[in-house]
Amino acid sequence: MSVFIDTSLRLLAWLILAPLLPGVINKVKAWVAGRQGPPVLQLYYDLARLWRKGVVISTLASPGFIIAPAVAWVAVIGAAALLPLAGADAPVSFDGDVLLLVYLLALARFCTAWGAMETGSAFEGMGAAREVSYAILAEVGIITAILTLAVQSGSISLSSMFEPLPGPSAALLAVGLFIILLAENCRVPFDDPNTHLELTMIHEVMVLDHSGPPLAMILHGASVKLMLFAVFLAQAVLPLSEVPLVMSLALLALAVLLVAVAVGLVESLTARLAFRRVPLLLTIGFLFCLFPLLLTWMGEI
Amino acid sequence: MATSHAGPRWWTASTLGGTVCAFIAAILPLAGNPVWEWRSEWSLGGEQVLLRLDEIGAFFLLLLCVVGMAGAVYSREYWNGTAHPRSARRGRLWWNAMLLSMGLVLTVGNGLHFLLAWEIFAVSAYFLVTLDRENPDVRTAGWVYLAASHLGTLALFAFFAALAGHTGSWELGPMRHIPALAPFYWLALLGFGIKAGIFPLHIWLPSAHANAPSHVSALMSGVAIKMGIFGLVRFGSWLPLPAAAGWAVAGLGCASAVLGVAFALGQHDLKRLLAYHSVENIGIILIGLGFAMIAVDQGRPEWGILALAGGLLHVWNHGLFKALLFLGAGSVLHATGTREMSRLGGLWRPMPWTAGFFTLGAMAICGLPPLNGFVSEWLVFSGLFDAARHQTDAVLAAVPAAILLGATGALALACFIKVCGVVFLGAPRTESAHKAHECGPAMRGAMAALAAGCIAIGLAPALLWPALLRVAKAWFGADEGMAAANRLVPLGAAHLCIALLALAVAALTVRSLRARTARAVTWDCGYAIPTARMQYTAESFAGIITGWFTWILRPVVHAGLPEGFFPTRAHRASHTPETVLERIVRPCALAILKISDLARGFQQGRTQAYIFYLCAALLALALAVFPGGGLKP
Repeated sequence: MSVFIDTSLRLLAWLILAPLLPGVINKVKAWVAGRQGPPVLQLYYDLARLWRKGVVISTLASPGFIIAPAVAWVAVIGAAALLPLAGADAPVSFDGDVLLLVYLLALARFCTAWGAMETGSAFEGMGAAREVSYAILAEVGIITAILTLAVQSGSISLSSMFEPLPGPSAALLAVGLFIILLAENCRVPFDDPNTHLELTMIHEVMVLDHSGPPLAMILHGASVKLMLFAVFLAQAVLPLSEVPLVMSLALLALAVLLVAVAVGLVESLTARLAFRRVPLLLTIGFLFCLFPLLLTWMGEI
Repeated sequence: MATSHAGPRWWTASTLGGTVCAFIAAILPLAGNPVWEWRSEWSLGGEQVLLRLDEIGAFFLLLLCVVGMAGAVYSREYWNGTAHPRSARRGRLWWNAMLLSMGLVLTVGNGLHFLLAWEIFAVSAYFLVTLDRENPDVRTAGWVYLAASHLGTLALFAFFAALAGHTGSWELGPMRHIPALAPFYWLALLGFGIKAGIFPLHIWLPSAHANAPSHVSALMSGVAIKMGIFGLVRFGSWLPLPAAAGWAVAGLGCASAVLGVAFALGQHDLKRLLAYHSVENIGIILIGLGFAMIAVDQGRPEWGILALAGGLLHVWNHGLFKALLFLGAGSVLHATGTREMSRLGGLWRPMPWTAGFFTLGAMAICGLPPLNGFVSEWLVFSGLFDAARHQTDAVLAAVPAAILLGATGALALACFIKVCGVVFLGAPRTESAHKAHECGPAMRGAMAALAAGCIAIGLAPALLWPALLRVAKAWFGADEGMAAANRLVPLGAAHLCIALLALAVAALTVRSLRARTARAVTWDCGYAIPTARMQYTAESFAGIITGWFTWILRPVVHAGLPEGFFPTRAHRASHTPETVLERIVRPCALAILKISDLARGFQQGRTQAYIFYLCAALLALALAVFPGGGLKP
């Protein structure tokens, strides 16, 4: 019974807290620009409104157009449920669950790109092509980061693989994971979440034709994914397993908030990258993950 | 085989009967029954016939039976006597010949008979590939296949002869105690590698798989190339291995995996694309096998067993989903008459079943949970991660292999989004795609059976673990360190949860939205008159990634760009040739032909010249002999 309560509490935390992060990011951006900005809870209002609305779908779309966002949402939530939260171990934990997490995110990506291809729009096809292409480099970076953690901790289970890294490795890994976070969540400098009508965007263009509850699922799933990466980054870098439970949870929350602020600052202070430079930056992110791997591995030889 | 002339109904019944018997026979050793052996009283070619069905052979035989059954059912409708009056009967005959010969390859325990069965298998595959022999492309594909296959057979002749020479008998069995045999594994790697389609040796594979009838492509890709893997697995366990063999196999596996999918991304022909994915998946299997060999070399079976189990399970999985994908591609070809993806589109509406099954296969081949492809990739990954985290000597290879395997998964996902999106989604691009029709019950049934296999392995992988462990134990030939816990139990549970949750949420969403859904044209940022030709094409979809691989893909572009003030028609077409065949094999072959041409100058049909050659040769012989002191008695 306690497992059941634990799982539900954890899921509720993910579902309810995740839409805060985009609000925080937008607030930071508004603050840097000297504007008032939308309220921190804006995404909650949006979701509630979308949930009540009807759906308009393309005449070309198959039933998959509605099913795909639902499956993608479940996949992202499932991936989030696998992550331990600081000292509190995940309800499900086994050797190799970290790979399940990576591939659940891939399942979500498959569904989103599928939904984009449904409409037969060249615009959305372009977005899907970019999403799946850049995801290759991001995935290479994630696997490298996971290898670093596995070599450091000697474990491939999420509940025990977040062992404190030595300082330089942790710093490098933090930068690498942050770059991957920006790419995977379609933030500046890879993509601009504010625009709807530019040829250079990725994620927003894939969901152009979605509306109503499926769009709400997509937006909510995107916020959960952002929080998932932030939590992963925080746990990979900070020695959270060495402090008491309450303290570590507070630290984790603070770290996730800091990541959101950092995303907002990057978004305010840098311009979006030229498109052909995107692979270059992702490769840099991969290298930032590779060096800690080499450091950890060579350090023990 | 005898019933292939007696009419399709009898043929189907007898083929199904035979494969079901073989299926049951194959389950027995995998369920823990002792190895079955049979020795004939008579002899063939001076050797007694020895049939032996052990765990490794049975593992492959099971796959052969499943795909053989599905393909036989499918072909009744797909390659029936009305549409193909001349080749339908021939197809039935060679189908059974191929099933039988592959079954023999898996069971014979004698090198001589192995070669015989191997040759029958190669030749019957050739006749199946060229069923539609009026088409020149098909004949060329068949010819390249036959040539490549015989090059492999040549290597195998040398291999088996060398084995027989060293052991003094044609009989096969464990020979780890004779260290002199180690170098011959390289010969086996060449011979079996050509059949398996390992990267630089895969030249025959894309055209043969693309041009064969689809049920034959399914058998070729699902099972026939696995015979090469079978050879590598079998002799990897029987022969003493050279120290570098594991590294070489794993390296070739990585190259095949990444480059196979890169070439697949460059293709516009549906079946050719699927064929390149076979190269990719063979690569994944080889990574698993290679690391198992490294583990044997280093005496660390505990992670080798995971890699091996992953590679072996991927043999089954790839057989299932690739056969499913080829059968789906066959339905598309059957309904629209084209394999060219840029002429298709929007097929989900006329053929919903095919679209659904194909998508399921696509998700499985991308290694997405909760389907079977993920289970085997996860096992291979676990083996690699275990090798890396325990700081073994293999970490130098395990780290890059894990990273490349991750990249392969993401590349395959990109490729299959392209395929599904361009072929099944959006608007039909041509009239033929518009008029497509769903395939009949036999074709759908065959696809449904394979799809059910994919789902079953994905949701209940733990049930297969004892069988996998048995095969792996037989492969390692030792029991110590083999008490590996069943790591698939939690994965299967997680898969089940995800699948149920996704189904529930999807069903709820669809139900609750049914009442408030409206249809309108694609918004597309307000673009008013979209036409089907304005959709994103397969080439543009893959453009970013193929751009990264131009160094090996070498795409050929034919373009007539608009020029002048009043441009007339413009066109652009591109295709990705088979680089290894076009850039390496063909120039080499042409060079050999050119050199041989020089010899032709001697032969001009004039009697005087031949008499002159005779005299010259006699003179030369005489000169060679007499200065040496004349003929000695």
